[in-house]
Amino acid sequence: MRSINKDSPKKIAEVIEASATQFSAQCYELYEIPPLGSLVRTGDIYGVVAGAETTSLEPGRKPIARGKDEASEEAVYESSPQLAKLLRSELTAAVVGFKNGDKVVQYLPPQPARIHGFVYLCQPDEIRDFSRSFGFLNTLIDADLPVPDEEVVAATLRQMSQAHGDSRTFLVAAGKELAALLSNDYLRLKNILGRLTPA
Amino acid sequence: MSLDLTRVAGQVSAMISRLGDGRDEDRRRLRFAVDTLNSPAINLEALKRKIAASRTTWLVAELVEGLNRHYPSPPLPRDFTVIAADGSHIDVDRHHSTRCYLINIGAAVIKYGNQPDACLSSLPRLYSEDKDLAITPPGNGRRQPVEGTILGVKRSVEECQRLAELTAGAPDGSDCLALLDGTLILWGLEAYPDFVTDVLLNNGLLKCLGAMKKLNAGRRVAMASYISFPRSTDVVNVLRVAICPNDAPDCDRDCPPGRERDCEAVADVRDRDIFMDLLETGERSALFISPSRIVKERYGEHRIYFFYLRAGDEIARIEIPQWVAESQPLLDLTQCLVLDQVKRGQGYPVVLSEAHEQAVVTGADRESFWELVEVSLVEEHLPGTGSAKSFSKRTRWI
Repeated sequence: MRSINKDSPKKIAEVIEASATQFSAQCYELYEIPPLGSLVRTGDIYGVVAGAETTSLEPGRKPIARGKDEASEEAVYESSPQLAKLLRSELTAAVVGFKNGDKVVQYLPPQPARIHGFVYLCQPDEIRDFSRSFGFLNTLIDADLPVPDEEVVAATLRQMSQAHGDSRTFLVAAGKELAALLSNDYLRLKNILGRLTPA
Repeated sequence: MSLDLTRVAGQVSAMISRLGDGRDEDRRRLRFAVDTLNSPAINLEALKRKIAASRTTWLVAELVEGLNRHYPSPPLPRDFTVIAADGSHIDVDRHHSTRCYLINIGAAVIKYGNQPDACLSSLPRLYSEDKDLAITPPGNGRRQPVEGTILGVKRSVEECQRLAELTAGAPDGSDCLALLDGTLILWGLEAYPDFVTDVLLNNGLLKCLGAMKKLNAGRRVAMASYISFPRSTDVVNVLRVAICPNDAPDCDRDCPPGRERDCEAVADVRDRDIFMDLLETGERSALFISPSRIVKERYGEHRIYFFYLRAGDEIARIEIPQWVAESQPLLDLTQCLVLDQVKRGQGYPVVLSEAHEQAVVTGADRESFWELVEVSLVEEHLPGTGSAKSFSKRTRWI
């Protein structure tokens, strides 16, 4: 397993469910979920945030409306400080590659992520390193994701482009790769390309 | 075969129609009880003397002040902390070869005001050593196994221990209320020998209450227990004495079985019915002292007082140790914080429900626990024969 050096980015979540193609992780802080499409890493495995939800910690306890007499949303949490301990934010990441020694490869790893593995949000240099090639796009397009795959692919490219000095060149190169991958599915290609412009 | 509900349905209808029959009579008795409570003819000192002289077959609350006194809720402090502990247990199962029991204590510490925060926790502990499985009398004598009622009492003591630990760790400078669910009176011990009471009460519950009392140096730390929908009749029994025509009531002497009793005029009325009529939302009743024998004989400076509180749609009974009852600031803190907790918790103190959620051991948890014990026995190649009865319950056949 990869050792964690002192320059490692801060851990944001912990794996609670894992398969060959996806992993789910509980965020350490309520609502502190990385944006859709963010590149994350657990151990040697890279994933792209492809879904997120905030729910009750216990399936049988459903939140109830509490704010009728409160002035602000913050006041609801201040009046019931236990809420932050009873709700949890969870992300689902689509596995897009792994680190094989020093080499980053963009296909599925031999083993799924480990339960309780720490999840880190990748920093710009790691994102640039990972996105030198676009092999992960094929994996994402074929993945069975909780969010429509056009949304996830576009969000991933938008997020990654921010780590590149020349984000436009990065997006144009990614667009060409997509055009080749989706040459027989014009509608999906159009949907993704239409979502590539950063908000 | 599971329960045949179609056969039960008819019996349920009969039960419900019987309940409806006596409603007018119930209302008349309640009216009479409330009128008696409010009666200007009641002389407090004379009534206290009459209660002291009476020999009744039921327990009569001791009086502190006028029966119908009621107090609105004092204002809430700005910053405060509420702490609760609650427990569940898995009892010794005689059908299993391994003798052990488990106590799971859940706790909640919730801080309100400037820096709101919450900490929820649970501490499960397994007991299997000889010293845990029985309480030994000093010298020789019959050991008292810790199971059933005694295990229930031990659990209550551990709840109070956890509460005292957490209260000691509560932030300085903010008012604090430590809350338990149910009664502070360990009634269950009355049927057991003194050495059991020494261990569980003197060195258990009372020690913890003492520790919490000591925290009151420089800050307000109140301690109380909350009884939802209480069935007690301690105050109604005061009214029974008040309306008894005899100067020194003696139930066995004056009213042998079969003879009509004047006090039956308030029969079946509960304290909560009277105070539902008397108290406005947020108000508490007068203070009373628990008449139970174990409290009188054993609780000393922690003698249990109680009052009723109109909390939301129900009347709750709040029990407090003497040092809370005799301190107006602690009494006020108890009333306003319990009431605030009930408001925040949709009718039941939120800190108690969260502690309960942490403590709860479900039926599935129990099965998993025994399965874990059995699997561990097998792994260690130890014999683990259970009873034939438990085997037959788990392996059903036709």
